[in-house]
Amino acid sequence: MLNFDWLSGISQEMAKNIFLALFVLIAVLVLMIPNEYAYEGVEKEDRHWWNNLKIWSIFVLSILFFIYYIF
Amino acid sequence: MLAGIDYFVVIAYIVGMLLLGLYFKKFVSSSDDYFLAGKSLPFWAIGMSIVVSDIGALDFVGVSGQAYRYGISVGNFDWIGSVPAMLLAAFIFIPYFWRGGMYTIPEYLGRRYNPTVRTIASATWIIFFALDLGVLFWSSAVLLNILLGWSIWTSILITAGVVGLYTYFGGITAVIMTDVVQMIIMFVGGFALVYLSMDAVGGWENMVEKITNMGPEYRSHFHIIQPSDTTSPFPWTGILFGLTFVMANAYMIGNQAIVQRCLTAKNEWHAKASMIFASGLKMLIPIVVLFPGLMAVVVHPGLLDGDQALPMMIKTILPPGLVGLMFAAFFAGLMSSVDSLLNSTATLFTKDIYEPYIKKGADDKHYLKVGQVTTLTLLVIGVATAPISSDFPGIYVAIQTFMSFFQGPLFAILLLGIFWKRTTPYGGLSALVIGIASAILLNVFKANFFTIEDPFLYISWWSFLVGFIVNVVVSLMTKPHTAEHLKGLVFDSKIITSSKNK
Repeated sequence: MLNFDWLSGISQEMAKNIFLALFVLIAVLVLMIPNEYAYEGVEKEDRHWWNNLKIWSIFVLSILFFIYYIF
Repeated sequence: MLAGIDYFVVIAYIVGMLLLGLYFKKFVSSSDDYFLAGKSLPFWAIGMSIVVSDIGALDFVGVSGQAYRYGISVGNFDWIGSVPAMLLAAFIFIPYFWRGGMYTIPEYLGRRYNPTVRTIASATWIIFFALDLGVLFWSSAVLLNILLGWSIWTSILITAGVVGLYTYFGGITAVIMTDVVQMIIMFVGGFALVYLSMDAVGGWENMVEKITNMGPEYRSHFHIIQPSDTTSPFPWTGILFGLTFVMANAYMIGNQAIVQRCLTAKNEWHAKASMIFASGLKMLIPIVVLFPGLMAVVVHPGLLDGDQALPMMIKTILPPGLVGLMFAAFFAGLMSSVDSLLNSTATLFTKDIYEPYIKKGADDKHYLKVGQVTTLTLLVIGVATAPISSDFPGIYVAIQTFMSFFQGPLFAILLLGIFWKRTTPYGGLSALVIGIASAILLNVFKANFFTIEDPFLYISWWSFLVGFIVNVVVSLMTKPHTAEHLKGLVFDSKIITSSKNK
């Protein structure tokens, strides 16, 4: 049990899909964060799409998804 | 040994770092400046500092060596083993620590649980960091001894002198700003090696074809997901449960050296942004440290010791000048690790041990002086204990193993502490003690419990689970803190939604 042998039936391909699904889930959670919270600390007049931290996070997660999809 | 222009590059780097670090002395006039840079730093500097502190010269060699042996699956540590945890830290944990005006992670644990949990957590970090210092001094001395021909003790004293001087006077501002330059040097040196190595192996596709045709043991070199029954230390089950769910979070959320950097941010946006920016930079780390190991499989096949992969590639691929830059990058990795340990340990000692137990309520200048004296004392301890590495070559691995015992239970109490109001001081304390004990037990009897080569990922998961369950069970049987006590310490969705009203 400690070796996770109860998961040995899961193929490498399926395991990869689990990882990809995890990235999508994290991205959905990030998108659910209110914009105001992502901008907290930035003056209202200085808020632009490029300092929206949700966009930064989605960008990083997209690259991560791409790496795991390729390899 | 280096000569000519390479020698000049390494010396110029050492002198440059000393001068740059000392420049930041003028910004230190209080303990807040010394430990938190007066909460004034921008996200990009903190993000770069997080990345360079996370990767040391020993990791450069070690990761390349593992990539040589096991392939691209080693990249899991910088990809899935960092990014999700850094996003969780950025959006949930860091805002709590930053808003609470905290200096240390144990300080949070002390407020959330009780002073005993704070002291145990802090003392563990202090012992670990202090032991690590000696190992790092020895490693840098060996490097300088080989490169420049300096004796071991001259090399140790020069490293301690340079890093010690700017950390003593400039505090965390000097540490972070020198890290910025160190990261640039590390990336320039690393990418130069990868670019030239790619040429030597005839391009990416050619390299993939050559390696996969080398035999059955190389077929999975380009599979990032390894089967659960692999004999390598990286089965996907270990990567998912041990690394992604536990170790990564424990490192990015519970490691004083990492989190303290975010607490120096000038506002909450910069604190969050620093972690997310660092997660983007972390994606590039495997290119710098892992790819040279993979390319070495083609250029230098059949190496008995995979850790020779990187030094061999540097020796055969890089031209004069870039060899010096690459070794400056190695040295940058070592220096950034040493300065982080010095400043973080000084912060832990001053804030978690000295202030509560030795002298409460002293004026701020006194605590600034204590922080500086602690830095100096740690330097002396580090220098004095450095030769231990020579007598016990396995000490670095032993220290890392010791820390892995601590990671799972620490994350269990942090996670429950912030997300579950019912968690009690006794729950946290017993989870920490029993969780660490279970990790030690699993490690001692690992041959009986596990089938893979090095089950550290599994051990961290199971010790986390033990800590989690013990915390829940003991908490349900003991008296919780009052709602008033927990204000600002436990997650409340209002922290996110209240921003709408501002």
